[in-house]
Amino acid sequence: MSLHRFAFRAMAAVNEVQVHAADRGAAAAMAAPAIAEVRRIEEKYSRYRPESVVSRINAQAGGAPVAIDEETAGLLDFADACWRQSAGLFDATSGVLRRAWRFEPGSAVPSREALEALLPRIGWQRVERTREAVRLPLAGMELDFGGFGKEYAVDRAALALREAGAESALVNLAGDLAILGPQPDGTPWNVGIRHPRVENVAIATLPVASGAIATSGDYERYLEVDGVRHCHVLDPRTGRSARGFRSVTVHAQTCIVAGSASTIAMLMGRDAGLEWLDGLAVAHFCVLEDGAIIDRFPATVS
Amino acid sequence: MAATEDREAPAPRARGGALAALTQAALALPILAIAARAGAAQVGEVGIAVLGYKERGLIKVTEPVIWANAQIAEVWEVQASAAIDIITGASPQLVTNLSGKPVQAVTGASINDRRNTGDLHVTRHFGDFALSGSYTESNEEDYHSRAYGVEGRWDLDHKLTTIAAGYGRSNDRVGSSIDQTLNAPRHTDEYMLGVTRILTPLSLVQSTVAIARGRGWYNDPYKLTLTFYPDQILPILLADRRPDHRDTLSWLTRYRRHFPGANATLQADYRYYRDDWGIRAHTLEVAWQQDLGDRWSVRPALRYYTQSAADFYSPTIPRPQPEIVSSDQRLAAFGGLSPSLRLTYRFAGGTVIEGTAGYVHDARSLRFGGGGSEAYTTLRAVFGLVSVSRPF
Repeated sequence: MSLHRFAFRAMAAVNEVQVHAADRGAAAAMAAPAIAEVRRIEEKYSRYRPESVVSRINAQAGGAPVAIDEETAGLLDFADACWRQSAGLFDATSGVLRRAWRFEPGSAVPSREALEALLPRIGWQRVERTREAVRLPLAGMELDFGGFGKEYAVDRAALALREAGAESALVNLAGDLAILGPQPDGTPWNVGIRHPRVENVAIATLPVASGAIATSGDYERYLEVDGVRHCHVLDPRTGRSARGFRSVTVHAQTCIVAGSASTIAMLMGRDAGLEWLDGLAVAHFCVLEDGAIIDRFPATVS
Repeated sequence: MAATEDREAPAPRARGGALAALTQAALALPILAIAARAGAAQVGEVGIAVLGYKERGLIKVTEPVIWANAQIAEVWEVQASAAIDIITGASPQLVTNLSGKPVQAVTGASINDRRNTGDLHVTRHFGDFALSGSYTESNEEDYHSRAYGVEGRWDLDHKLTTIAAGYGRSNDRVGSSIDQTLNAPRHTDEYMLGVTRILTPLSLVQSTVAIARGRGWYNDPYKLTLTFYPDQILPILLADRRPDHRDTLSWLTRYRRHFPGANATLQADYRYYRDDWGIRAHTLEVAWQQDLGDRWSVRPALRYYTQSAADFYSPTIPRPQPEIVSSDQRLAAFGGLSPSLRLTYRFAGGTVIEGTAGYVHDARSLRFGGGGSEAYTTLRAVFGLVSVSRPF
């Protein structure tokens, strides 16, 4: 048995599947369906692809309902659970705020007027949906699967690996990952958590035997103006960036749960977010705004 | 098309329930089968239950059942429970053909009994293998039982398949409040083999075969047969006489299928039973567990049961008088239907309250294919169960 690694591009990032297998051919046979599954989900849900379900729903905002299949209905149910559990902070319609924000050096922080003009387009509670169809009631409303779409792809890729016979494997989509079983020698996988301020440096290495890890951070897309960092995690009530954390890493049995939990904690801010994570009883690792580390990971999580 | 019901963003749920709620929503998605265990952030549970059962003239109350289980250091699981049963009322004891037809008579003698029972179950996990040991003790005035068992479980195929095998031994002593000298042993060895297979992320099937070999005292000291013969002045009164052995086989198959769109689970169980007394029985139970929002579940169920009579069952004493004969109608041919309804409420903190109400109707006419024993007296009973459990 040896470890085989397969890097691939998808979802605007470099991702990786790692599999322990007898030889590279066997490993590739297990990795291929997992990579194909990630690409399938990207095509189906990416808002950058005009033919995706999400793009079609957004194009019909204020118009006719769009038919959805069972998988999409399940994901929208999940978005609904996130909205309810976060008291409305996690809102799958808040992506419209990106029209005001430019996360590029030299850009300005959007004005209050610019943000307030967008707030009426946000409101998960107004999304009309059944098991078979969904409709955004206002033209200009947008749905996006940020915070759970990529995480769902991680879980689906892990399932594809398992179904292909992998016993010890890892799927990593830009830092959100799922782990199938410990390594062949019985030891857990060591998962490096990216330093939120220094690229390509791990701030911690967490031993994980199974389950999934997801991280929300202020370092992926952000705008720094006058020493204040504005990150892409946006509060649907104000349109402004979440404050309090540089990054939140959560372990859960599935990546979709870990990802939504870390995003909700980011949105809640430092005190409420930490309290909420404590209440969830999930292992978590947080870097606060001031650089302090809250490490609530046991010796090994499984 | 309706928008999400609550127009305002809801107040945050109590925190403990949030993971369960997110996990529940994730479970509806076609992702990892391991998600089935994801809700178990808890390490233990305590619970209490009260059961009541009433059939004409007989009331049985179990109060209370207390149980607790805990996971220790991730590899140990300990489970314990205790119960006290209180039985009051009259017991049908005599089958007589005084009126021309054999019927079951209530003798008027009353039962007042109390049963104390407790068990302890310890499991050690070794990766994909788990080993359990259990001990159960039950004491009442006229019956004492000590049982212990060992069971091994293997998770195969990434936990998609689980194989379980077990052995148990029960040592009982049978007494009688009527006959104080009765103190007879009974020993039973039981062997079990089971397979659970996750068919899809939403369905599983489990099949378990158990074989038991029992030796010792099976006669029921409270059952008597009084038979009048047309050509004989004096009737014959005979105590219950059964074989001194009983070998049984039971085969239980359960199917579960979750319907995420409907927030419901279909539960179907079939059990086949046979023993060397000649009883063949079939039980079919179908239940539909419907979740109504996050908090409520309702579970209507219907159970059908049918059995053939034991070879030595007879409501009258035949002539010539055989070595073994019993008029106990539980050994007769009959069938039964039992509808029940369970309501569950889950509090945000994880506490669960459950109430079940059910009805039992056993009759000879309900035997599958007919042929129920003529002397079978229709039994109607109601039962109720209330339980509260909370994780810690």
